[in-house]
Amino acid sequence: MLNRILVVLSLVLVTQLAVPMARAQDKPAVVLAGDVMVERSVEENGTTRTVLEAPTNVIPGDRLVFTTRYTNTLAELVEDFVITNPLPAAVVLLQDGDFDVSVDGGKTFGRFATMSVKLEDGADRPAELADVTHIRWTLARLAPGEQGQVRYFAAIR
Amino acid sequence: MKYAAIRISALCGTTIASLALASQALAAGIPAGTLIENTASASYNTGGPTQVIDSNTVSFRVAELLDVAVASQDASALPITSTAVLTFSVTNTGNGPEPFVLTADPAVSGNDFDVTVDSLAIDSNNNGVYDPGVDALLANGGTSAIVAPDQALTVFVLVTAPGGTADGQSSQVRLLAEAGTGTGAPGTLFAGAGEGGVDAVAGSSGADDDGVGALISSLATVSLVKSAVIADPFGGTQPVPGAIVTFTLQATVTGSGSVDDLQITDTIPTSTSYAPGTLTLNSAGLTDAADTDSGTASASGIAVTLGSVAAGTTHSVTFQVEID
Repeated sequence: MLNRILVVLSLVLVTQLAVPMARAQDKPAVVLAGDVMVERSVEENGTTRTVLEAPTNVIPGDRLVFTTRYTNTLAELVEDFVITNPLPAAVVLLQDGDFDVSVDGGKTFGRFATMSVKLEDGADRPAELADVTHIRWTLARLAPGEQGQVRYFAAIR
Repeated sequence: MKYAAIRISALCGTTIASLALASQALAAGIPAGTLIENTASASYNTGGPTQVIDSNTVSFRVAELLDVAVASQDASALPITSTAVLTFSVTNTGNGPEPFVLTADPAVSGNDFDVTVDSLAIDSNNNGVYDPGVDALLANGGTSAIVAPDQALTVFVLVTAPGGTADGQSSQVRLLAEAGTGTGAPGTLFAGAGEGGVDAVAGSSGADDDGVGALISSLATVSLVKSAVIADPFGGTQPVPGAIVTFTLQATVTGSGSVDDLQITDTIPTSTSYAPGTLTLNSAGLTDAADTDSGTASASGIAVTLGSVAAGTTHSVTFQVEID
């Protein structure tokens, strides 16, 4: 989907024509709010549990949860709702999820299990979590007022 | 349209940066102070043109992880006769540049003997071998130069053996490296003390580590046994004038290692005369003259120079005198 957008954008640039595409301006129908937390183990009364804390003193290997909350602020249906999240270069995806991924910098997307990486000798190998550069959630439609969140788990490289 | 152009360049920038960074596999992890930013974007439509929105950008900086690993680089216990040089590696396994406080402790529990630490030295020319006068000396307990993440220092510990040790006794020397920023239980926080002002956090090592190097006392001991066999002119063994006395000096080197500058000397007994040309070493004849062979002999005495002799060997010197 993103690559289609990019192609469309390129065409727009070349032709300077008004393909139906616009930057949400005055009052976007949908609002995105990003958040990041770090997982910490807390020991209480002899049991260890995991809590989420603000990302302070984050060191390599720490597990992070990146959350994006979305809200359809309008009283109308939102369609073809797609959230794309480029992974920060310093983190590595920790687990697959209900999303598509890109392992080529956002050019192509697909389910993680189906992705492969081209090796220097031309052969393909199955993609690893560390290869993932982008994550994309496709939600098809948001009812009026609908809100929700998507998230992914990553660790500092 | 301007938006679209900006969007494309921003995406390309992210792509290049992520690919470049992904190829740098850092054992110690992303460098301290690295800014991590995450922004999601979404596209959708509400019947009209497709809309694109961005989330807010969340960002934070990676803290400095203080970690270190120390390992002995000696394959086995080093033999020590009087002095020895132990070799250790000190690796910065954290993610920020860090100096380390280096302390060698020669009094390790279980030691048969404790050496004296004369000095530490840093392998300035990185050849893995201590080069006196080249490698920079560091006082025991001193602080190293800054070590980059994932880089290792080779540290030498120069020691002297005490007197009175017995061959084969063992000893260990422990080298401790502590992060210059501080040490503590894993997770200990040093607010603002990290690279570029980020917080520093003690890693799994507790920001310190130690390694032990082993020494084994290598002492060689020489024992010398002298014996005599008399052959009188009548076929007997009586010490009568004219009898030939064959002296044997047997030098046995025991222990381990070797002895240096071993020389066997003896005087010709009074009332006897050296029988010229009878000096031998290990059954091979030696000339009496001071020349290229190892022996000399004269009317006053004999001398055989053995030089460096390995432990576990025996050398025997013989010469004959005639009773006056």
